[in-house]
Amino acid sequence: MNLYCSLLRAGCAVACLAIALGASAADFSYAEAAKPYKGKSIRVLDEVTPLQEALSKIVPDFEKETGIKVDWELLNHAEVINKGQADMLSGRGYYDAVMLHGFQLGPLLTANVVRPVDDLIANKALANPGLDAGDFIERPYKTLAFHKGKQYGFLNWNYNQVYWARADLLEHPGERAAFKAKYGYDLAPAKTLEQMRDIAEFFTRKKGEKLADAILDGDFYGIVLEGVRGGSTFLSLWNNFIKSYGGDIIDAEGRPTFDRPENVQAIKLWADLWKFAPPGMAEYSLVDIPTVMGNGIAAQTIAWSDFVLGVDREGASRYAGKFVYGPVPPKAGLEGKRSVEAEPSVTVISASSKNPEATFLFLQWLVEKKQQDKLIEVGKGGVPIRESSWSAPLLNDGKLKGLFTAMRASLEVAEAKPKMPKFFEVYDALTGISQEIGLGKLTPEAGAAKGQAEMLKICTKCVL
Amino acid sequence: MSAILQRARTPSAPRARFWYPYLLIAPAMIVLIIVSLVPFVYAIYLSFHEARFGRVTDFVGLANYTSLLTNERFWNAFGVAALFVLIAVPIEFMLGLAGALVLNQRIRGRRVFVPLLFIPTMMAPIVVGLVWKIMLAGSWGLVSYNVIERFGILSDTSIFASPDFALYALIMIDIWQWTPFMMLAFFSGLRALPLNPFRAAAVDGATPIQIFFQLTLPMMTPLLAVIVLLRVIDAFKVFDSFFILTGGGPGRATETPSILAYKMTFEFWNIGQASALAVLVWIAFFVFCNLFYQLAKNRLKAF
Amino acid sequence: MSVAPTATQTRESRAGLLWTALLAAYALVILFPVLWMALMALKPPDLMFARPTVWLFPPTLDHFAYVIQQNFHRNLITSILLSVLSTGLVVVVGTPAAYAFARFEMWRKDDLFLFVLASRMAPPVCMAIPFYLIFTKIGLYDTIFGLTLAYMTFNLSFYIWVLRSFCRDLPVELEEAAMLEGWSRPQAFMRVVFPLLRNGVVATAVLCFIFAWNEFLFAFMLGGRDVQTLPVAIPKLVTAQGVRWGEMAVVGMVALVPVLVAVALLQRHIVRGLTLGAVKG
Repeated sequence: MNLYCSLLRAGCAVACLAIALGASAADFSYAEAAKPYKGKSIRVLDEVTPLQEALSKIVPDFEKETGIKVDWELLNHAEVINKGQADMLSGRGYYDAVMLHGFQLGPLLTANVVRPVDDLIANKALANPGLDAGDFIERPYKTLAFHKGKQYGFLNWNYNQVYWARADLLEHPGERAAFKAKYGYDLAPAKTLEQMRDIAEFFTRKKGEKLADAILDGDFYGIVLEGVRGGSTFLSLWNNFIKSYGGDIIDAEGRPTFDRPENVQAIKLWADLWKFAPPGMAEYSLVDIPTVMGNGIAAQTIAWSDFVLGVDREGASRYAGKFVYGPVPPKAGLEGKRSVEAEPSVTVISASSKNPEATFLFLQWLVEKKQQDKLIEVGKGGVPIRESSWSAPLLNDGKLKGLFTAMRASLEVAEAKPKMPKFFEVYDALTGISQEIGLGKLTPEAGAAKGQAEMLKICTKCVL
Repeated sequence: MSAILQRARTPSAPRARFWYPYLLIAPAMIVLIIVSLVPFVYAIYLSFHEARFGRVTDFVGLANYTSLLTNERFWNAFGVAALFVLIAVPIEFMLGLAGALVLNQRIRGRRVFVPLLFIPTMMAPIVVGLVWKIMLAGSWGLVSYNVIERFGILSDTSIFASPDFALYALIMIDIWQWTPFMMLAFFSGLRALPLNPFRAAAVDGATPIQIFFQLTLPMMTPLLAVIVLLRVIDAFKVFDSFFILTGGGPGRATETPSILAYKMTFEFWNIGQASALAVLVWIAFFVFCNLFYQLAKNRLKAF
Repeated sequence: MSVAPTATQTRESRAGLLWTALLAAYALVILFPVLWMALMALKPPDLMFARPTVWLFPPTLDHFAYVIQQNFHRNLITSILLSVLSTGLVVVVGTPAAYAFARFEMWRKDDLFLFVLASRMAPPVCMAIPFYLIFTKIGLYDTIFGLTLAYMTFNLSFYIWVLRSFCRDLPVELEEAAMLEGWSRPQAFMRVVFPLLRNGVVATAVLCFIFAWNEFLFAFMLGGRDVQTLPVAIPKLVTAQGVRWGEMAVVGMVALVPVLVAVALLQRHIVRGLTLGAVKG
């Protein structure tokens, strides 16, 4: 009898425990977790792109669920960086959370103004066990949010670049025949950087020549890339070209290696492309590229995928619907080293925030599967941060399916920028040199040597 | 009233209690001390420290200054701004004066012309930058496409991408924006000139050229001197159009001290060095303004 | 006048027609970029930078709708408030100072006068962060008053320097004579001097208003949620979907209108000049 009773009691206890555990795993409730913070107000600063504009429609749901009020402010690229950094660095703490691009983490971590979230994740009252962090797209997440064993946030935005070309030209039978005759392989969206160069050369034509079925009334160009002193010109050269050739600007210990032979090869190809680009290329920034493609004067480009959403639609450009997308091409033979320029971004909690717990709840809520699915729905597409989002119908049906496939391929290899405290100084020096190389004022070899010298002046060990 | 006016003669200091003028300038001085001197002293303080990321750390004496003065990038910036001022301001001056003289003639519809002609100065510099980007941007700019490319003026490059032309384009844009300012200021001054000397000169049979150089110009000198000095200072500090159109490029061809300061402040967050730059620019101005003022006062009787 | 025009007057008015034509041509060339931008406010996006250039097009009101939807009218009101307050303060504080510098002898007057100008000498970019750090500490960040004070750095010195040269032209004895007639010095100033100075004050104040209206850097750094001026609204239109040129044209034009109206209305004062021209001997 005693044994039986003990067993029964033990069995009940285990069963109750199991039920309780199961229930808590399934029933993590934001409303519950937020009870101690109900009525508080937090301020979050983020960048204004169509993605965040869609998100701002969802943000009020958080207040409904938890009673925590979110003041969600969106500023443009330059402002979110300037004001966000000014707020965090001055210790003002007006914003509880600020969106940071990957490259900002180096300087801000050095200045010690970012609050790590490990303790909040370990806090059972706040952390949702069902968050499924393994579902975040791995490479960007792992390279972005972690540093020296600490975690600083999740993955909020997955900006990435894709290859973007004129489908009507690539599919034109006359052009295809001429291309095959000249280069010996079929005309198609470029699968390697060398092919991209060939296509650029092939389609660069002067006014009066024939393109597809029409006589050109203005010059046409095979490719257009960023060339402005600033923007993502140098970043594109670094991540789309240099790294795909197996090179890099720093080595594993963070020492500058700008003049590696692989780098020089990559820079040569990139500089070569300037010959096939519009004369104004040295002025083009990331926002000019979509305009140029929308005007239809270039055949190919590599551009930020979220910009595409603004151009490839009815009424935005005469060439809407005539584009094709693909992953950024790797170097022939080095597919394993394929690299893509991307800017995974994370919304971090400011070290001066007075409401880290409430802020954490909000940031965690944002990246839940439920919210991310809703975000894609509301935005009629978007740039996923979770692997599971790729199966959403909106990303698989519809005219832009090719774009999302390309994005996915890009995000597979996307990495956050290395955490370099002097990132801005290095970037400033190398951007100027990149432009000079593109304009022909420096040879690739001379430019590489100069870049190495400049980097060494700034830092001998460049990574945190 | 006319009795009062008839007794008017050339200016001299009237009898006044000695503290009266100081009372008059006191509010302005107090405001300026609070609003301008205090932050500037703070900037000087910052310039003597290592102030990265806005955190003031070690006292480094003149290190920020020496690193700037030995940096050829600093001197390049000074050179760019100096060249800019040396070309833009005289042209604005001459065009503005010419325009003011024209406006002073018997023009029909002056009331319409004045606000219209003044529009460029009334526009925010940031909007001006954008307007000209629309005009001159490579490939898709209106003038770029219809004029420059059509006639093949610039082979293989575009205005803002060319180290040779970018600065001149920016100079042209500055002239476009600020000539109306000069024009209006000088026109206002012309209208304020007394008529008697001109009537007398006409009676004496002076030619328009003589009247202009011996009568108009000398009487306008005080106003001209002030306006030119103010414009020189502002032109040297130019920022908005450079920032929007070239970002200091291509290379360093259009990198002015203001652009360099922007990079130091908002990109590198090297506040110590940016403050040192501010102090150096200030010192240069101070020396220049003093010289100009003394010269204008003694030689031109302008002050 | 019932008298027939003299030969000189006829010659002058024919020359005047010539000048008018010249000025009109000049105005058209100068204003062409502005006109083009105004047209962009109504142009559909896909035609805006189309090559070849599209000159005639069906207009669209989408850009206006977007601007209103984004509450840019709040920016307009803030700009008006800030510029009016700032200019008003400058006039009140600066006019006596300009007059004093023009009229009286002072100990180290030149140095004081140059000190006034000194506030304009440091590049605003460099002063933005010190201002930001100070303002956030003393609670002036994101306030109209704070920004008004910050604007004093360039507007007050400009006003004093320019107005002083207008003051110099005033006959000294006006004041003296008025005082001899029994008025006190301040009364003399207000009744006799100020009316003559009015045009100079208006002209200079209008310029100060324009500088405040169009200022960007301080408004951006020292303004926040509550204080957003029109120039600050413009970078918001540089979005990830590219630059919203149409909306930017709308804001640019809207920013122009109040200033244009102010200048058009006040130009009588600016151009009238001293009516008592027969003063100087």
